[in-house]
Amino acid sequence: MSSLGQIVSAVEDYRKLVAARVQAARSDQGVGQELLAKWRKVKERIGTTVTPTGLRLPRLALPEIDDPGEIARFLLEDGVPGEFPFLTSAYAEQYLEPAAPAPNGEVSRQPDPIPEEPTRLFAGLGLAEDTNERFHYLSRNQRNKRLSTAFDGPTLYGVGSAAGGVLGKIGEGGVSIDTIEDMEHLYAGFELDQPNVSVSMTISGPAPILLAMYIGAAKRRFGPDVMPKLRGTIQADVLKEIQAQNELIFPIDASLRFLADMVDFCSKQMPRWYPISISGYHIAEAGATPVQQGAYTLSNGFAYVEYFRNRGMDVNLFGPRLSFFLDCGLDIEYLALARVCRKIWAIGMRDVFGADGRAQLFKLHTQTSGRSLIAADWRNNLTRTAVEIMLACMNATNSCHSNSADEPFTTPSEEYARYAAHAQSIVLEESGLFKHMMNALSGSPGMKIVGNAVENAILEEFRNIDEQGGVVGAVERRYQRSQIQASSHILERQIYGGIRPLIGLNRYADPDGSWPEVPMIRTPREKKERQRERLDDFEHRHAGQSERCLDRLSKVVESGENVFEELIKTIEHCSLGQITERLCDVVGKFRPMV
Amino acid sequence: MVPPIRILTAVPICDGHDSAINTINLELIRQGVEVIYLGYHRSAEDIVRAGIQEDAIAIGLSSYNGGHVEFFGEVVDRLESARLQPRIRVFGGGGGTITHEDAKIMHQQGVTRIFFAGTPLEEIAKYVRSEFGNVEQSAYLPGTQAPDQTLARELTLVEKGLERPIRRRAVKRSTVIGFSGPGGAGKTTVIDELVLRFLRSQPVEGRLAILSHDPSVVSSGALLGDRATMIYSQNDRVFMRSMATRGTAGGLSASTERALESMLASGLFESILLETVGTGQEAVPFGIQKSLADKVVLILSPDYGSRLQLQKIAMLDVADVVVVNKSDLRGARTAVAEIETRIRGNQRKQTLIRTQANRHRDPGVDQLFNHLFADL
Repeated sequence: MSSLGQIVSAVEDYRKLVAARVQAARSDQGVGQELLAKWRKVKERIGTTVTPTGLRLPRLALPEIDDPGEIARFLLEDGVPGEFPFLTSAYAEQYLEPAAPAPNGEVSRQPDPIPEEPTRLFAGLGLAEDTNERFHYLSRNQRNKRLSTAFDGPTLYGVGSAAGGVLGKIGEGGVSIDTIEDMEHLYAGFELDQPNVSVSMTISGPAPILLAMYIGAAKRRFGPDVMPKLRGTIQADVLKEIQAQNELIFPIDASLRFLADMVDFCSKQMPRWYPISISGYHIAEAGATPVQQGAYTLSNGFAYVEYFRNRGMDVNLFGPRLSFFLDCGLDIEYLALARVCRKIWAIGMRDVFGADGRAQLFKLHTQTSGRSLIAADWRNNLTRTAVEIMLACMNATNSCHSNSADEPFTTPSEEYARYAAHAQSIVLEESGLFKHMMNALSGSPGMKIVGNAVENAILEEFRNIDEQGGVVGAVERRYQRSQIQASSHILERQIYGGIRPLIGLNRYADPDGSWPEVPMIRTPREKKERQRERLDDFEHRHAGQSERCLDRLSKVVESGENVFEELIKTIEHCSLGQITERLCDVVGKFRPMV
Repeated sequence: MVPPIRILTAVPICDGHDSAINTINLELIRQGVEVIYLGYHRSAEDIVRAGIQEDAIAIGLSSYNGGHVEFFGEVVDRLESARLQPRIRVFGGGGGTITHEDAKIMHQQGVTRIFFAGTPLEEIAKYVRSEFGNVEQSAYLPGTQAPDQTLARELTLVEKGLERPIRRRAVKRSTVIGFSGPGGAGKTTVIDELVLRFLRSQPVEGRLAILSHDPSVVSSGALLGDRATMIYSQNDRVFMRSMATRGTAGGLSASTERALESMLASGLFESILLETVGTGQEAVPFGIQKSLADKVVLILSPDYGSRLQLQKIAMLDVADVVVVNKSDLRGARTAVAEIETRIRGNQRKQTLIRTQANRHRDPGVDQLFNHLFADL
C-alpha cells in the first residue's frame, strides 16, 4: 500500500470517529454538557459588526444548533474556521474588512490590522521591462503588491532565446527571461524585501533555475541578507507537468531531486517563500473533471510529502511551505471542491504523516477557469468569471486570480485585466457577502451534499492510484494522463453535442456573430531580436567564467549535494539555456508521454 | 481498397498544449487516417525531417503558444527548400490564438488551411479526407532528390503495393536488428537509448534507420506515435519510418519485408532497427528462422505474469538477446531468474541483459549497446 492507501483509511477512520463522537454526545450526558459549554464559548468569542445600513451582525456565522450531537458533528466534520479539519476555512478570519464606524458613529470593535486582499495580478508579456511596466500599472492602486508572473514558451522549456526556431515565441504569452539581468529588470522598482510585496512565478520545469535567478537579483539590490524576507511562490509542480501540462525538461527522478533540493533549501533559509504550488489548475484546464482535479492534486501533494520525508526532510519544517493551486469552473462540484480538499489534506497530513497544525493547512490559490472562456460572444466571459469568483470565495480560497474576458484570443489587454481584478473587488469589497461576516454562504445543505459526493469520489480515485503502486507508479503507466484525456474528449463531445450549454456558442448563438474586435497583444519583432542581443551580450561578458561554473554544477549534480545552493552561484555567470543544456547532459531529458 | 492517407501532426516548439491535437488525432484515426504523431515541443527542423522521412501527404500543426506566423512560415520554407513533389501541405489551427489577419499572412506563406476556434472535428476530418485523399505520389527519377527523400518515396510506393524502380543492390550491408516484446515493456525507450549511444559513440557519417510498427485500428486508421517518445532519434543521422500493420497479424506489416529490402538497398545505414508492435505470447514476428533480422532482441518487463506464462512465450526460443527492462520494478530479480532457467533449456547461445532504460546512462543499456553494436 502506498501512502495513498493509508490516507483513504485515515479518512474513513476519521468518519467513524465522528460518528462515534456524535453518538457519545447524544447518549452520554457528561459529554453532551461539555460540548454545550464549548459551543457557548465558541459563540462568545465572536465579535460583532455593523453594516453601513445599520444592521448588527456577528463576524462569524455558525449554524443555529443546540443538540450536542449536531454540535459534535459540526465541530468535527466542518470545524470552526481555522480549526481542524479546516473544511470551512484554513484561517479564523479572511475577507473581513476592518470594522468600520457604523452610520450612527458606533464602532463595533477595535480596528483590525489591514487585511490581506486576495487579488493577484497576473502578467507576463514581451521583455522583462514590458512586464515590469504592466506590474506597476496594475498595482498602482493596491496596498499589497502581489505580482504573479507568466513566462513565455522558451523560458518555460528552459530554452534560450537564441535557440533555433524560437524567435517567434519570445515574449508571447508570457515574459522572456534568459538571465539574472532580465530578472532584475522584471521586478525593478518593487521593494521585494517588504511585507507588502510578494512575487509568484508560474513555472515548473526550470523552476530551481528561475528561483535562483530571483534570489540573485534580490541580493544584488537588497544585500546578501535578503533571503528570509522574500515572499512569494514558485510553481515547481513537476508531477502535474507529466500528467497534464507537458512542460517538463528533466526525467522524473532528476526533476523530483532538483525540486527536493530547492524545497529543502527554502524551508530552512526562506521562511516566507512557498517553493512549490501543487497545482490542479492545469489538470482541470487539460479537461479533467473537478473530482479528478481534486484527486490528482491531493495525491500529487501527498506523493511529494512522502518523497521529501523519505529524503529525511522534516514534515513540520517543509509542510507549512507547501501551497496549492486549483481551478474554479462552473460545474456544481466547485461548490465544495476546495473545502473537501482542505479536509482530506489535513487528515492525511496529521494522521498519516504526523504533521502538526501549521503543516496541516491546505493553503489555496484559485484561478478562475480559462477553459470555460470562449471566443463566441466573448463579453459573456465577464459573467462566467464573476460566477467563478463567487464560487472560489464561497470556498474560502486564500488568494485568487480572475481571468480577463479577452483571454481566449490574446494576452490580456490592460482594460480587461483591470475588469478582471475589479470583479474580485466587487465581490469582496463592494458586495456585503464576504466582508462583514465569515461563513455567510457556507454549509448549505446543497454544499454539504456535493461535498460528501466529491469526497467519496476522490477517495475512490485514490484507491485506483494506490492499486498502481501510488502516484509515481500510476504516472509511469500514464494513468492520470489517460484519465484526463478521456475526460477531455467527453467534455468536447458534450459541447459539440450541445449537452453542455455554452451560451453564445451552442445555445443562443448570434447568427451574425463575427470575430471579436479585440486588440491583439503581440511582441514586436524588434523586441524579440533585442532579447536575443541581450542574451548574446550576457553570454559574451561571462564567457570566461560560464564553462567553469557549469562544470562545477555538473559535479554537484553527480556528487548528490544540494543542486539548488550551487544554482544560486551558477546563475551569476550562466544563462537559463546554458544551464538547462548542461543539466540535460548530466541527467538526460524528459521522455514525453503521449 | 484505397490506401489510408498518411499525415503527420505535431505541436510547435516550446508549446505543450496537446489537448486539441489529441482529440483531432483520435477523430482522424476514427475516419481511417494514419496519423504519425510527433508530439509537442517540436522544432520546425524535427517536424520537416519527420515529414520527409515519413513521406507524409500533409503536416498538421496545432499551436496555442503564439509565434505561429513565424513557426508555420519556417516549416513551409524548409519544405520548399527540400523541393519535394508534391510539396508536403501544411495546415493547422490554434483556437482563438490565430486571428483571421494572421491566417491571411500564413496563407500567403503557403499554409493550405487554418482552422479557427469552434471548428467541429468532423469538418477537420472531412477536409483531410477530401483534400489529401487523391494526392499523387510518384517515384522520383534517380538522382533528382536527396537520398532520404528518394528512399522515403520508395517506401510509400512499397506500402501502396505499387511497382518500385529497380535499384542496384548497395555495397554496404546494414545489420538488421529486430526488437519485439509485449506492449508496455519499453521497446521504444530501449531503442531510443541505443540510438543515443550510437550517436555519441560513432563517427558523424554513421547513420541508423528505424522501421517501427504500430497497430491499425479496425476501421483502418492508425496512431503512429513512436516518434513522440523517441526524442534522441529525431536527428539527421537517423532515418525513421513508421508503418501501420493494416490488418496483418503477428507484429509487422505485409509490406515490412519489401520496405526492409529498400532500406538495405539504399546503403545509407550502418544498422536498421526493426521494431514490432506490442506482441502476444505466440508471436514470432521475424520468423522462426529469423529471415528478417540478423539479430533478434526480445524485450520483457518483469510483470509478464506467472512462470507458466513464460513457458508460452515463443520468442524466448528465437531471440538472441532477452532484455528484462524496468529492472527496478518489484519482482525483477525473480523474473530474471525465471527467464534464465527458461532459456537455459533451449541449449543455445542466448544473452540475458537487465536494463532500466528510463534511467539516464543506464549501465544495462550500455551493455546491450555494446553487445549489439560490437561489430561497429
